[in-house]
Formats: sequence, structure tokens, C-alpha cells
Amino acid sequence: MSKISRRDLLQYIGAGGIGVAGGVLYGEGVQRKVELLIPQVIPPEDYSPGVATWYNTVCNQCSAGCGISVRIREGKAKKIEGNPVHPVSRGRLCARGQAGLNVLYNPDRIRTPLQRADRGSENTAEISWDDALTTIGSRIGRLKIEGNAGRIRLLTGRTRGHLDELFAQFMNLLGSEHYQQYDFTYPSALAAANKTSFGTDVLPYYDIENADFLLSFGADYLGTWLSPVHYSRAYGNLRQGRQGQRGKTVQVEPRMSLSGAAADEWIAARPGTEGLLALGIAHVLVSSGSYTGNDRDEWSSALQAYSPSMVSAETEVSEDTIVRIAEEFGASTASLAIAGGATAAGTNAVASIVAVNALNHLAGNLGKPGGVILNSAQTFPAAAGSSPAGLQGALDLVAAMQAGDVEVLLVHDTNPVFSLPDNVGFRQAMENVPLIIALSSFHDETTVMADFILPTNTYLESWGDDVPDPGVGFPVTSLSQPVVAPLYDTLPVGDIILSLARQIGGELPIHMPWASMEEFIKDRWREEFDERMSEGQDQNFEAFWQAVLEAGVWGQPGAAAGGQPESSSSPTIAAIADPVSKFAGDETDYPFVLHPYLTATFLDGRGANLPWLQELPDPMTSVVYGSWAELNPVTADELGIEEGDVLEIESPAGSIRVPAFIFPAIRPGVVAVPIGQGHTSYGRYASDRGVNPIHIVATLMDKQSGDLAWAATRVKITNTGERLRIVKTDGVTRTLGRQILGPGNDHG
Amino acid sequence: MSISVLDALQPAKKPALIVLVLVFGLFVGAWVHGKYFSDRSPIQPIDFSHRIHVTDNEIPCQHCHIYAERTPVAGVPSVSKCMGCHNSVPSVRESPEILKLATYWENREPIPWIKVYDLPDYVHFTHKRHIKAGLACQECHGPVETMDRITRVATMKMPWCVDCHTEREVEHGRDCWTCHK
Ligand code: SF4
Repeated sequence: MSKISRRDLLQYIGAGGIGVAGGVLYGEGVQRKVELLIPQVIPPEDYSPGVATWYNTVCNQCSAGCGISVRIREGKAKKIEGNPVHPVSRGRLCARGQAGLNVLYNPDRIRTPLQRADRGSENTAEISWDDALTTIGSRIGRLKIEGNAGRIRLLTGRTRGHLDELFAQFMNLLGSEHYQQYDFTYPSALAAANKTSFGTDVLPYYDIENADFLLSFGADYLGTWLSPVHYSRAYGNLRQGRQGQRGKTVQVEPRMSLSGAAADEWIAARPGTEGLLALGIAHVLVSSGSYTGNDRDEWSSALQAYSPSMVSAETEVSEDTIVRIAEEFGASTASLAIAGGATAAGTNAVASIVAVNALNHLAGNLGKPGGVILNSAQTFPAAAGSSPAGLQGALDLVAAMQAGDVEVLLVHDTNPVFSLPDNVGFRQAMENVPLIIALSSFHDETTVMADFILPTNTYLESWGDDVPDPGVGFPVTSLSQPVVAPLYDTLPVGDIILSLARQIGGELPIHMPWASMEEFIKDRWREEFDERMSEGQDQNFEAFWQAVLEAGVWGQPGAAAGGQPESSSSPTIAAIADPVSKFAGDETDYPFVLHPYLTATFLDGRGANLPWLQELPDPMTSVVYGSWAELNPVTADELGIEEGDVLEIESPAGSIRVPAFIFPAIRPGVVAVPIGQGHTSYGRYASDRGVNPIHIVATLMDKQSGDLAWAATRVKITNTGERLRIVKTDGVTRTLGRQILGPGNDHG
Repeated sequence: MSISVLDALQPAKKPALIVLVLVFGLFVGAWVHGKYFSDRSPIQPIDFSHRIHVTDNEIPCQHCHIYAERTPVAGVPSVSKCMGCHNSVPSVRESPEILKLATYWENREPIPWIKVYDLPDYVHFTHKRHIKAGLACQECHGPVETMDRITRVATMKMPWCVDCHTEREVEHGRDCWTCHK
């Protein structure tokens, strides 16, 4: 055998080494990736891995108050559905409700208390809860001792149930009368109008479900109006729920909403004259003898002036249409007229809504199935029942801040800097307030002005209760519970208020002795249970509480709610005298009417930080992401504008730049811009997208309710010459001669 | 004149040998990896011994793996459960591994155990059914009571499952839909 040379040996060793290394690498390669088996540190109650538990609580993504069921696995929320036993949602849920998980798991949530040295800047420093509460508590405490508690203000979004009660009590005990709410979507004008028409400002139940003929003036009941999930289901029943009977719907609005698209007839009356149209219909109802009440003469003299020909000239709706609708409305067994949207956002909002309410009176729809059913103001358990104060309330607050009358401002769950017109000057006024404290889960345009930010639990991590408004025609109260443990170092807003009360001391902790919101709510429910319900019940409170907690809701179906609405004619007749809205900006300089509209995704902008909602195309235009301005093809042709042309839309109050979208379902001369985008400080998903049309709305208001008249601004349009591609899922909206709609039905 | 193939192959002998050595090396490497570095018996964050718990202290399996009989997964005990017992076992309180446990507990952190038995997501395995059928844990997991560090004893591949189902004549035991939904 020949001797192996040194060189060969090295080669063999090298080959062997490479082989072994290759073998090890191969072993490593085919091996499964290391997976971890992570135990719970402390397992939650009734936890079984791999087995889902459903907890019932309340949706907080708008003011409808739908009941929801949340699917929990391994202590984590996985999916939200409608609570089947809740009378508002009845097992259904809207897109915003679904996106509640995006609220909980949002990467932009505030995770610890923060302090800001420099208002308006995004730079903040973390501080401990103890430090934050001590500092704030002592500032507020000092004002109270000095007798200056009136200089403390609390501004919240729409808040109901016992959280509202807690806020009210806290401010009362401090000695300040300045607890107020602001919510762009709150229908102040509707409440005020109903007070005139029915003598109560508790919103009634509009029984769309059992109506045969629904006449909606601007109310997008399928998308954004009052309680969209409830009404969507009711609409389904109106159309298909009854054997052999298909309810009819007519929608009056300048820009076709989802409800307009679903209607049998869409009427684009001249903006601002919707109330007049209602009076024209009322005129026919009375003059045709369809109304037989004993105050018929009073009505006929009040409506004398609103003959179909006069109304037709003003509203640009044909006389025939007015008469035909009036006849159908009068002849239907269960007809119902509702008002919302732009009809409820003119300078004459209350007058217009009262006119619509008058239709219900004249057709005899009050207190009947398929009509207007009053809700009771009596709730279980009773709560403070505050409601938002509209533009007037905001202006008062701004004036106080400007005058230096506000020393401490606490803000919770409302974003007035975003959802008020720029002209109101909310942000500038905030500069005059020495101490601003935001209680919030997210940064936004308002909290960016706060010196302290106290991070709150989201609604899925909080205790609460709620009386849905509008109710459903019988007494209902929902109970919300935390469905998961708090993800971060945050506190429920009620607990923060209670901690502050303890910090401030004096009589506050004596009157507010509860350790937490949970204890407070349970205490109040127990008190009322003992007082109002224990008699004749074989249930004790604990069993009752457990049952309500499991169901997520307490209700008394069949119990009489608000009684028979008493529509006395004289206040109604006095209130309808102002049927046409005024507009800011005169017609020659500002030839177009601006129609900002709430979207079913973002509402007043609060949904814009949720990625699922950002990627949901608009149901009417199919546009997704960003903002756009809708123009009728006729208007666009006149101005030589094409889709994607960037327009400068200028009102007397300011201007925005936004790409054009040509949309046939809008009245010529109207330009519609969706509300919701245009955020500057609302987290990663909302930033750098679109514009906020509320900012250029003029600060006109409805005189009777103090509500912002957001549909009463005129604008002019300039084509900037720039172009922007609109992102949309639709290709072409025309049939291009393909006869898709059948022969003789081909309109484009 | 004879023509020898061997002579002709002479120049190829060395490269062939090198390839042979390389291939042999590959097998050695793969074997070494399987023996000493494989995921069959990974080193865990805490040197937990089943032998001490099960054999020496006679704790039944389902005392800690409480979900096995009622859910798809057996579950590892929560950190609070470990501490629940260890708080009252002063004899080992100062041992380094128990100190590690205590640290996790104080920081309220979960222990990142490494999975030894894992099935792909498309297999709908459930412990509950197997326990209900009267199988002992050891049938699949081996003599856990003798192991200090857990070692996987089965391939956890489909033939292994099906063999057992066949042998025991499990009803629908060979239907695809029994395991793959
Ligand atoms: S309508 Fe939608 S967002 Fe509003 S409460 Fe109901 S589910 Fe939530």
C-alpha cells in the first residue's frame, strides 16, 4: 500500500471536516424551528387553553350602545360579534363594532402616564401614576380650597350611565358647575325638536321594522343615524320580514347615502329646503282631507302658504312628486317620517325636524307600531342623563378659556380640535389654560395640547353601564364588563376620577368612597334593586347581578315605555315657521353647497386610527384611503373637472385641497366631502391621509338647539391643475352598452 | 497485452476517496447532531426534572397538566402553580434552579419552556379524547417519570399515529377527517 502523502492526508481531513459540518447543518436544517410553550403567570378564571369563552359587554364605537359578545381564548380577545339577546343589536354588529379589536390591540395606545413640557409637540416623558395623581390632585385641591373650583372644567364625549353620574358627582363635590359634553354626532337638534313636538327630549323609538312607508329626510339610518345596526335589521324586516308585503322607502337628501341607495326613490331637493318639502307634504295631507283631527282648521291655516306649487318652486321637487308622496304617506297604514343628516344640520334644523315630526302627527303615526314610540326618561338604574351641548356649549367653553376663566381643563373621549370648525379657535383657546389633563387611550389633536396624559383602559377592559339612547321602546340597561385584563399600565377612567377624589380629600372621598368603578356601579345597582325591584321577586341581588352580567343586558320587554306622545299642535305650528336654511357665503362668490357627511367607518373621525376601517372601501364610491370630493358629472363638465383633479375648495372659513371624484348620485351644485380623515396627531394609521372638511365649515348654528349647522356652508371650487390618483375598487361605473341591467334599461 | 480497467481508474481513485470521506463525514455529522444537538431533548430555561416530581414526590401527571382531560392541550402549569407548591418546600428554596423560578415569579414573567412535542397546525389532535380512551400518558410520551430532561420518544409523524389507530381498531381512526378538519 502506498504511503499517503502529507498533502493527501490534509485533503482527506478537509473533506471529512466539511462532511461532518455539512451533516450537522443538515440536521439543524431539517429540525423544526424552536417553538416555545409559554405558561400563564397567573391563569385567568375559568380559563382552559384552546377553549373559547364568550363574554357579553357593550360596544363603545358610537353612541348606539349595541350589545356585543367577545370571544376570548387564552385570556385574549379574538373576535367581536353582536349579542343575540341585546335588543339594540340583536346579534348584529357593524364594521366599527368589529374593529373594536383594533382599539384594544392598537400599537399607538398610550401605555403609561405621560407628562408634556412642550404643548403641541409629540415629545412626552413617562411619569408614574403616583406622581401624576399627586401633582394633579394637589393643583385641583388647591383651587377648591381657595374657592376657585369654578375654574375647573371637565369636557367629555357622549357619556351615559354611571360614568356620567360619576363625572357629575365629582364636579359637584368640587364645587364646579362646568361638566359638559361635546360630540359632533350627537343629534342636539333632533332632541330639541322632539321636545317641541312631543314634550320630551328623550329620543323616541322610530319603529322602522313595522312601517310600510318610510320617508327619511337626510337620515342615513343604514350607516350613521342614531342606531345603525338596529335600523339596518329593522330595514330588512320592513322589506322582507312580512309575507307578501314589501315596505317602501323614500330618501330626501342632496347626496345619495347608503340609505338613499337602498330606497325606492331618492329625491335631491334643493339643499336647506327639506323642511319646506315636509311642509308641502303636510299641506297636501291636510287639504286632501286625509287628516281628520279636530284641530284641522288650525293646521290648514298654518300650512296655507305651503302649497305644492310654491314648495315645488323652492325645493325644485316636482308638484306631482309632492302630491304623490303625500298621498302614499297618508294612505299607508304605518307610515313613518324621520329626519337627520343635512336636514338636521341647517340653521333651521329644529324647524325642519318639527315639520317632519308634524307629518307623523298628521298621518296618525304617534305611539303606534310602525310609527314613533316614546321612550321613558325613567331608567334602571337612574343616572344623571347629561347630554352634549352642541356648538353653543363649545363656544361658551372657548370664550371662558379665552377670558382666562379656566385654570384646569380635564378632557376625556372627545376631540374638539378635530371635530369643530377651525373658526371656533378651540386649540388657540387651549393655550390660555394653565393646566390641561387628558384622560385618553390615544393621542389625538386635542390631547397633543395636554400637559398630563392619564392613559385609560379601552372599553373592552372596563366596567360600565349604559342606557341606549334612543332606546327600543321599552326599558333597557346594558352592563359592560372587562373581557380581558388591561394590556398596559392604564386605568379605567372611573378609577382615575375616584383616585383623584381620594387625592383631593375633604368631603370627596366621604361621598365617593368606592375603590373602583366596578364597586361604584355594583353599589348603585344594588341600591336601586333594593328600592325598586326586590318586592315580589324571589331573586336576591347577587343572583340578579350575575344574570345581568351574563346576559350583558337587563330589559323589560312589553313594559310601557314613554306613554302616548302628546303632540299638541300649537307649539309645533309655532316652530315650523322657518322652513329654509340660511347659508354662509353668498351665492355669487361661493356658488356651491358643501355637504360634509359622516361615514359609516370613521364617523366624526374617531375611527380613523383603526386599520380595518381604513382599508374598508366607501360603500357608495368604492374609494378607499384618503379623502375625495364628489361632484355631479354635470357640474364637473361645466368646470372641466375630471376624476383625480386636485380641487381647492374654499369656504368663507378656510380651504382644503382634495381630489375630485365624479359621482352621479349627487345633486348638481353640491360638493360632498366625507368626514373622518385629515388627522395630524392620531397615530400611524390616521396620519397623512386626506383632509378634514369640518375645518372649513362656517360657525353657523341652529338658533333653537345651539347645534352646529354643518350643512350650511357655501364654497367655491378651483382646479389646481395637480392630479392625484384616487384609490378605488370599482373599475368603470357605467354599463358601456353591455345591457347588464336588461334591455331598455341601459343608461350608460 | 492486457487492458486493466483498474489502471484506467487509477487517476480517479483519489477524488473518489475524497468523496467517500465527505459522504461518511455527512453521516457522522448528522448522527452527532441527532445525538447531541437535536430538538428531541432541548435544554430548557430551568433544569426541571420530571423524575424528581413524579417518581420521588409521587405527583400525578394531571396535577400539573390540568387541562389534559378536558381540552385539546395538556397545558403547562402556570408560574403561580409552581410557586404555590414551592413556597412550602423550604428544603430546595435556595437551589439555583428554584431561584430561577422565583425570579420569573417576582418579575411576573412566564417561563419560556421549549416545546418538545409539537404537531403541525393542520393536525387537530386533542388530549381530551386520548385520555378519555384510557391511554396512559406514557404511551406517547415515554417513561417521563424516569427522565430528568424530557426527551421526545416518538416521531410524531402520521404513520406513527395511524399505526396505533389501526392496531387499536379506533373507530374512524383512519378517516382523514378525524385529524385533518
Ligand atoms: S352601531 Fe356599530 S359602532 Fe355603534 S354601538 Fe353598534 S356596533 Fe358599535
